[in-house]
Amino acid sequence: MKTKKRVTDPFGNKLKELDKTIELKISSELDDNETALAQLFANCSDLVVRKLHMFGSIPGMVVYLDVLVDDQLWDDGFLEPLMQPEAASSSSSSHIYEILNFKLASIVQPRIATNMNEVVQSIVRGEVVLFTQSSMEAFSFGLKDKLHRQLEEPATEAVIRGPRYGFIEKLDINLALIRHRLRTPRLKTEKLCAGRLSQTDMMIVYIENLAEQSVVEEVKKRISSIDMDSVLESGYIEELISDHPYSPFPLMQATQRADLVSGSLIEGKIAVLIDGSPNVLVLPITFWFGFQTAEDYYTNFIYITMLRWLRYLFAFLAMALPAIFIAITTFHQEMIPTSLALSLAAAREVVPFPAIAEGLIMEITFEALREAGIRLPRPVGQTISIVGALVIGQAAVQAGIISAPQIIVVSVTGIASFLIPNPGMSQAISIIRFPLMLLAASFGLYGVGIGLICVLIHLVTLKSFGVPYMTPIAPFNPTGLTDTLIRAPWRVMRRRQKQTQRRME
Amino acid sequence: MTRILRTFRFLVIFVILGLTTGCWDRNEMDDLALVMASGIDLTEDGQLEITLQIALPTGIPSAVQSGGSGKKSVIVISASGKNTSEVTGKLQQQLSRAIFFGHRGVIIFGEQFARHGINQVVDTFTRFPESRSNSYVLTTYGGTAKEILNTPYQLELIPGIGINKIQSSKLSFPVKIDEFLNALSSQDRSPVTAAIRVINKGTDKETFTIDRAAVYHRNQLSGYLSSDELKLLRWWTGRGHHLRFTVQVEPENEQYGGTVGVELLQSGMKMHLVIKNDLPEIKVSLHATVRAIDNDSKLDLSKVNHMKRVETLLSKKIQSEAESMLTHVQKVLKSDIFGIGEEVHIEYPYAWKKMKDEWLDIFPEVPVTVDAHIKIERTGKTHSPAHKEKTD
Repeated sequence: MKTKKRVTDPFGNKLKELDKTIELKISSELDDNETALAQLFANCSDLVVRKLHMFGSIPGMVVYLDVLVDDQLWDDGFLEPLMQPEAASSSSSSHIYEILNFKLASIVQPRIATNMNEVVQSIVRGEVVLFTQSSMEAFSFGLKDKLHRQLEEPATEAVIRGPRYGFIEKLDINLALIRHRLRTPRLKTEKLCAGRLSQTDMMIVYIENLAEQSVVEEVKKRISSIDMDSVLESGYIEELISDHPYSPFPLMQATQRADLVSGSLIEGKIAVLIDGSPNVLVLPITFWFGFQTAEDYYTNFIYITMLRWLRYLFAFLAMALPAIFIAITTFHQEMIPTSLALSLAAAREVVPFPAIAEGLIMEITFEALREAGIRLPRPVGQTISIVGALVIGQAAVQAGIISAPQIIVVSVTGIASFLIPNPGMSQAISIIRFPLMLLAASFGLYGVGIGLICVLIHLVTLKSFGVPYMTPIAPFNPTGLTDTLIRAPWRVMRRRQKQTQRRME
Repeated sequence: MTRILRTFRFLVIFVILGLTTGCWDRNEMDDLALVMASGIDLTEDGQLEITLQIALPTGIPSAVQSGGSGKKSVIVISASGKNTSEVTGKLQQQLSRAIFFGHRGVIIFGEQFARHGINQVVDTFTRFPESRSNSYVLTTYGGTAKEILNTPYQLELIPGIGINKIQSSKLSFPVKIDEFLNALSSQDRSPVTAAIRVINKGTDKETFTIDRAAVYHRNQLSGYLSSDELKLLRWWTGRGHHLRFTVQVEPENEQYGGTVGVELLQSGMKMHLVIKNDLPEIKVSLHATVRAIDNDSKLDLSKVNHMKRVETLLSKKIQSEAESMLTHVQKVLKSDIFGIGEEVHIEYPYAWKKMKDEWLDIFPEVPVTVDAHIKIERTGKTHSPAHKEKTD
């Protein structure tokens, strides 16, 4: 495994200076703390600083960011017990801590902050910080707003049979979804944080003894060496901790399905949950992972075996069909059956472009249409497909600009690229299509062959966290074939799982 | 970073190499003249004349322009010269598209050219990489290859494809160019092709038919086999699929024609040879199971004795036909089109060594005896003829 180089950014130095200013001690005077915070949070209109008397006698100050705190919790769970007149025997911080601990047990464990940096961290994370007079410590309470969207079925990975819940943008709920399925203390969750401005929480989730400990350590190392201002989505992490960031192929699976993640964990894989992203990264994965769906394990295995072959076939078509078509029609006309050759020739009779130009025009138009369909709001998106079908399919052929066989090839290619379950894999294959077409136009099938060999060489050199990308085909491992070439029945697969478990233990 | 640079450098060199060589065998489909069939004739003054039948894609009906709109679907062009390369050059000068032999399915030798000897052209078929080795070879029976290629054929869009389909069906006598050339270059068998001729000439029903075989002696056409002989040749060479024979089982009268017609279901040939005083002696047995397809006689095929009678008569008829064909081939045409020499070569390699050089001279003297065994296996749904009056 390679060690990652640190990713630097132009704002790094500036931020470090900013961090230095926060290296302050908490003053025992409330007012000093107030001014310090007011300086730090200058022009932050949502910062609330309230002075109050705790338990009727002890002066304190509560600081929080208004928008991040749950009103209900604040009123009933925090303020009410805090304001109850109670004879506090002393105003020492440890004593207050105990009382608070007891009083607020219903909500959350208070944490003790010893310097201003921690205080600021707590505040920006949406916690409420309580200062007390003549104490060098502050208490922070997580009264985070529990607002989040409803659990829905992920739009990208719909299934016919299987659970409908998908991940959302809240880390703890995502973790809950996984915990629901794996009820064992061996499910370990380690918290990490990355991004200097965004302070994004992350969680590495794995099952002890099933996941390779060395891989877990490696993931932790790579994540903690990330040096970025902000980490807004799982895509950042995927690129930053990937073994081969320049490869078009996905070395991690981003999924919104909790069942898929749970299943992967049982296979000994590791999941990285990122706060604010409904996509969870699963690693390490192999090439064949891109052709599997969660549903493969809920449906009849014979049918799924057939489907998998269909996916492999169409993945090849999505990659090479336009190239092969161009190569054969411009270099190897003798390969086409005579009657087909005649109809191809007849179709091309009025077309002014060479086959490669035709192919490129159509493929680029198709990609543009696909992109337009994604970007547009749904009601308008519908019209795109109609326009695309009419304009491209019908009119282009009628006008004699594109030949009908080319349209068929492009359509099949398009359908084929939608057949690949994993979007990342689908994108990778679409990227490879274009260089292959150019090779086909220049060197015929020989060029296509060379191109495919290059792709294969690239694939076998890839590694995802130490796991060769093409396992179990290369290096060959017959037991692994039960879940790549076919989807074996569970009784066979379980045997395999037992073997891996024994190996792990 | 250096790796990316190196890759980039390599790519640039690769692209420059690819694009600056100046030769490129790329050809768009609409820049090709797809030759469907070609014919070779001898002109009056002894020159070579080559005729090409080229598909005309505009005449192929498609969704955009339906029905071909009465356009011709082929063009036929000819040119003559000393050798094939010269003639092909002349043909190319008449065309705006590159001549492409990759789809030629049929090669036709004109009778005159074949009688004169085919050596000077044969090399082209093997040397020319575009030339398919699974094209069918035919020889014309009367007339020229040019006439055949100009003959219309209604059933297919392109007559060349029509000939190709006839040959590739099991109902004809297909000989592919590679088999033909193998026979031509080997000492132990003589080449033979199907023979094609034009029928209904000059009428609007003009078309072609393939009903004979052309027999070659070394490299020259030596004669033709008639339709009946062709049937037996097909049987002999294992292409006896659906052959039909008719036999006269009783004299003709007012009511009945007295014939029974049968179709071969499974046919085969066994050759048994021994060497006696340095000369092979050959026993050939033709055997087949047949089904009755018509019965215009008083016989009831469901009765065993009747059936046996028909079988015996059939066997006798086929035996005599085969004997007459053998005589024709051995004594008149003197060509070993059955591959008897090959059989000797396999069975008695040492004896063959002595006779291989003058095999074609020995062959006419080789005694060959034929017998035939026919077995009727199916009699159809009825036993006696449908029009037979019941006699209670």
